[in-house]
Amino acid sequence: MQYKSQAVAKPYFIAAIGLFVGQILFGLIMGLQYVVGDFLFPAIPFNVARMVHTNLLIVWLLFGFMGAAYYMIPEESESELFSPKLALAMFWIFLVAGALTIVGYLTVPYAALAKMTFNDLWPTMGREFLEQPLITKLGIVVVALAFLFNISLTILKGRKTSISLVLLLGLWGLAVFFLFSFYNPSNLVLDKYFWWWTVHLWVEGVWELILGSLLAFVLIKVTGVDREIIEKWLYMIIAMTLITGIIGTGHHYYWIGTPEYWQWFGSVFSALEPIPFFMMTVFAFNMVNRRRREHPNKAATLWALGTGVMSFLGAGVWGFLHTLAPVNFYTHGTQITAAHGHMAFYGAYVMVVLTIISYAMPMLRGRAANSGKAQVMEMWAFWIMTVSIVFITLFLTAAGILQVWLQRVSTTPLGFMAAQDQVALFYWLREITGVLFLVGLVTYVASFFVGGETKEAA
Amino acid sequence: MNKPSQPRFVRPCTLIWLTLIALTGVTYSIGDAGLGGRNVMLLVLAITLLKGQMIAGFFMGLRKTSLLWRAIMGGYLIIVGGMIAAAYLMGIN
Amino acid sequence: MTTQSLTIDAHEPGTPPGDLAIWFFIFAELLAFGIFFGSYAFARAHNVELFNQSQLMLNRASGAVNALVLITSSYFVVRAVAAIKQGLSRQCANWLGAAIALGGVFIVIKLFEFHAKFSAGISLSTNTFYMFYLSLTIFHFMHVILGMVILAFVMAKARSGGYSIEHHTGVETGASYWHMVDLVWIILFPLVYVIR
Repeated sequence: MQYKSQAVAKPYFIAAIGLFVGQILFGLIMGLQYVVGDFLFPAIPFNVARMVHTNLLIVWLLFGFMGAAYYMIPEESESELFSPKLALAMFWIFLVAGALTIVGYLTVPYAALAKMTFNDLWPTMGREFLEQPLITKLGIVVVALAFLFNISLTILKGRKTSISLVLLLGLWGLAVFFLFSFYNPSNLVLDKYFWWWTVHLWVEGVWELILGSLLAFVLIKVTGVDREIIEKWLYMIIAMTLITGIIGTGHHYYWIGTPEYWQWFGSVFSALEPIPFFMMTVFAFNMVNRRRREHPNKAATLWALGTGVMSFLGAGVWGFLHTLAPVNFYTHGTQITAAHGHMAFYGAYVMVVLTIISYAMPMLRGRAANSGKAQVMEMWAFWIMTVSIVFITLFLTAAGILQVWLQRVSTTPLGFMAAQDQVALFYWLREITGVLFLVGLVTYVASFFVGGETKEAA
Repeated sequence: MNKPSQPRFVRPCTLIWLTLIALTGVTYSIGDAGLGGRNVMLLVLAITLLKGQMIAGFFMGLRKTSLLWRAIMGGYLIIVGGMIAAAYLMGIN
Repeated sequence: MTTQSLTIDAHEPGTPPGDLAIWFFIFAELLAFGIFFGSYAFARAHNVELFNQSQLMLNRASGAVNALVLITSSYFVVRAVAAIKQGLSRQCANWLGAAIALGGVFIVIKLFEFHAKFSAGISLSTNTFYMFYLSLTIFHFMHVILGMVILAFVMAKARSGGYSIEHHTGVETGASYWHMVDLVWIILFPLVYVIR
């Protein structure tokens, strides 16, 4: 750790991992509810478990991104953070607001929560992934603005690198597109239309910029390859991301009442969306092969390579699988989407946050890398979690194909619930693999507590 | 110090430029005469691919690169041209 | 001699002129247009009558003039590269300026064409042909603008003497992108305006 103020990243990373555990537990609960419908009913109904599972994911990734920014920006701009105190204050505000929101989801019926939080004054609730009460949404905006203020001023007073500028662009984009969550037109088509401006333009737009910049930062550190080369790749990846991702929004506009040309736009541009992810894979492997130093942190390198491969598979390949309009006509809203969602989120965003944590956390604890023993354990966690997610994805894909067949293609189509019963075997297999994922996650957390001999940070 | 003389690619590129102008004129006249049908399509497509190859080879300078680069560009033109021709023939039937 | 060659921009023999990264970008762009062209062709196959009829409403002359404009502009860029290889920064900038001016001519002609179509009430939803015509040409239109911006940066740097006989990768990079914009129109024009 070269700058004192980088230390504020630590609580962010710890909170991120804590919430990650929570996310997986609720994932397991709802995974079981797929096959045992009344499990934990009425305490935690399926819709609540789902809401908590997805919201926790988003919140912990945001914690991870913020922690990453607080760690990277001082080092990139060669200057202490503008205000470490503000960063810490925002951490507690965000954590408490997030915790209260989750408690609200779990203890109060959603409609009552809406009433308590003045949703009737300005209705923003009730939409998938953006279920947060108005107060929480406003809190997120405040935290995001304070965070961006802090980061932007740090960059302005220090060295400006491509990596930090790309990160800044991504983070500002994240904040700007979140504003569409406050816009809730009563026309259902328009509602969905703008809902995607937050959801799609986050994960297939500005978040990819954050992903690229985090990956580039870690690769510079662990490989020692020239910044110039890494930046050139970063620019190309970002250009491709924006060209394909922005109009690629069209792949959500096939069947929601928007004009027909979206079927063409969506198909053409999202068919190209795997390219930036493919470039990211080539980028990661290329840089590691051209490395000029052997960094003692082998685990971080493994996570970085894993991000390249798994984001391409999950976001690129599994996305392409059902992105063309004629295919999506059959697969829309089936378990194929769930399969893609799991592997894409894990491969791209979970893994990149774990990459930066893997690199930064030892530094924050005053050493260049963890002990060999701790690293071996972390790598075990990597493989258990990654293999688990691969199988979860495969089982969900199988369930999805079967579901499409039974429900939409066969000459005697079944109803939704009848089809669900038929694919139960795959849900069981997914649940078992999910438990394995939890084992991997516990191993991951345990690796932080393994001692052993370490080298002092340079 | 001697000024280097004009690079050798200028003269061929000037000829290519004039040829491209002439070929564009041919394509335009075909359109203006309202000609259509399989043979006309193939002629127009052949002219187009020839023009594309001229731009790629001379203007972009790919003719002096390794086989890989020329193959990527050549393959691109052939595949795009092939798709257009195949789709056109599909439409006739 | 050897020390001198070290200062020249590293350019491996056999690789295309300009920065390697721009070539990844150029081929990704060409791929996007290629998929679009293929989609047009196959959509036409299902709708030959409609496409042939709607095509007659296009202004073929302005499409052809624009092809001539871009070809000539591309040629000027070739001359700009030739100029900087002789160390003539001033001439290089002038050729680039001429190329950008022709880009401007393209834009103006295109705007007249769009204006005529839009005031005739034609939109993306009119029919499949116009959906393709408008989206292909607008997508290309935006690339012309981007290309002009790139050339403008290169021109400004050339004018201030930022390139030399030894170091002019930037000029070649901008030139390669501009040729790509030209190449796309070379395919687009016959495909959409002529073939029937």
